Amino acid sequence: MDYIDYYKILDLKKSASIDDIKKAYRKLARKYHPDLNPNNDEANKKFQQINEANEVLSDPEKRKKYDKYGKDWQHADQLDAQQQQQRQYQSQGGGGGYSGGFGGEDFSDFFSSMFGGGAGRSSRQSPFKGQDYNADLQLNLKDAYTTHKQTLTVNGKQVRITIPAGVENGQKIKLSGYGAPGANNGQPGDLYIKFNISEDPKFKRKGNDIYIQEEIDLYTAVLGGEKIVETLNGKVKLKIPEGTQPDSTLRLKGKGFPVYKKADQFGDLYIKWQVKLPTNLNQEQKELFEKLSKS
Amino acid sequence: MMMSNNLIALHDICVYHHVEIDFIQSLEDFGLIKTTTQKKLTFLSFDELMKLERYVRLAKDLDINLEGLHAISQLLSQVETMQNEISTLKAELNHYKQFN
Repeated sequence: MDYIDYYKILDLKKSASIDDIKKAYRKLARKYHPDLNPNNDEANKKFQQINEANEVLSDPEKRKKYDKYGKDWQHADQLDAQQQQQRQYQSQGGGGGYSGGFGGEDFSDFFSSMFGGGAGRSSRQSPFKGQDYNADLQLNLKDAYTTHKQTLTVNGKQVRITIPAGVENGQKIKLSGYGAPGANNGQPGDLYIKFNISEDPKFKRKGNDIYIQEEIDLYTAVLGGEKIVETLNGKVKLKIPEGTQPDSTLRLKGKGFPVYKKADQFGDLYIKWQVKLPTNLNQEQKELFEKLSKS
Repeated sequence: MMMSNNLIALHDICVYHHVEIDFIQSLEDFGLIKTTTQKKLTFLSFDELMKLERYVRLAKDLDINLEGLHAISQLLSQVETMQNEISTLKAELNHYKQFN
């Protein structure tokens, strides 16, 4: 266990007054506060150290004990004797400065050994929620079409999430408690995941509706026919009525994108017909078209 | 009183966080949060509550006044934009590195 120099952490001399300690703490807290340093683990750690140092030095009793035993850490026997005495005092209903009731897991081992298992916190210090993390997740349109699971690595931790079908580009979801650990026994932060959905070359999404363009030849447009069209949900065979006009649109109800968190609800699929005109006609074909034009 | 659609009553928030309603109204006057009124009751959405909690922590922990919170809010927003940009650029860079 390393000796921790609380004076050094707060950049103070040993003779510092309570006012000096308060000022130094405020100055460093402003610099390293987790809310002012998003996604910065280093700052979060530093903030915990500053809090710990302030916790000890701003309390005359604890400071006295730290000044007395802190440097000569090898005098553990004496320290133990004092801690035992203190425990006896508390069990007799004395209830002195170290009131307990707070977890010590956010303090260093040094602090816990010196002042007991987290018993040193005063009620003046409020717990700090850990910082929130932000992560981006890249999906393609087909990924976003179905509910599926993905594993992310956020700050070295593996997080398995379920991505509901129908998420939108830019949409954020919150995973409570997956952020940085809290300070002073505060709650851990949250993890916010933002979905970036890349555009698909064929399927264009507008809300829950999907738009595509399909080619048909002139003869099918004029005389009618059938066409197999690929949708996000598989292939469908469509009947094309005779006299279908170029750029006319067909709507397939319920063949669009799934509605977010609404099972069995889907948007629509809009198909715009691109009529392809024949080229390189031979003489006979040209004559037939001429006849047609005069009929 | 909780409402559906992720709305939380302002009164509940004040009790839970030990803040005065005037503080929340001042934050709204500064454009830092946005409240919602339904049937003469005022609520905060879940996203706005996250913002409020951050302002409460900053005000209580660091004694920052409203002008300071406003400045911090704008700077944090810039930081977030830049961090997102860095993250996108890093992802793009990694993508191109695969081809080298």
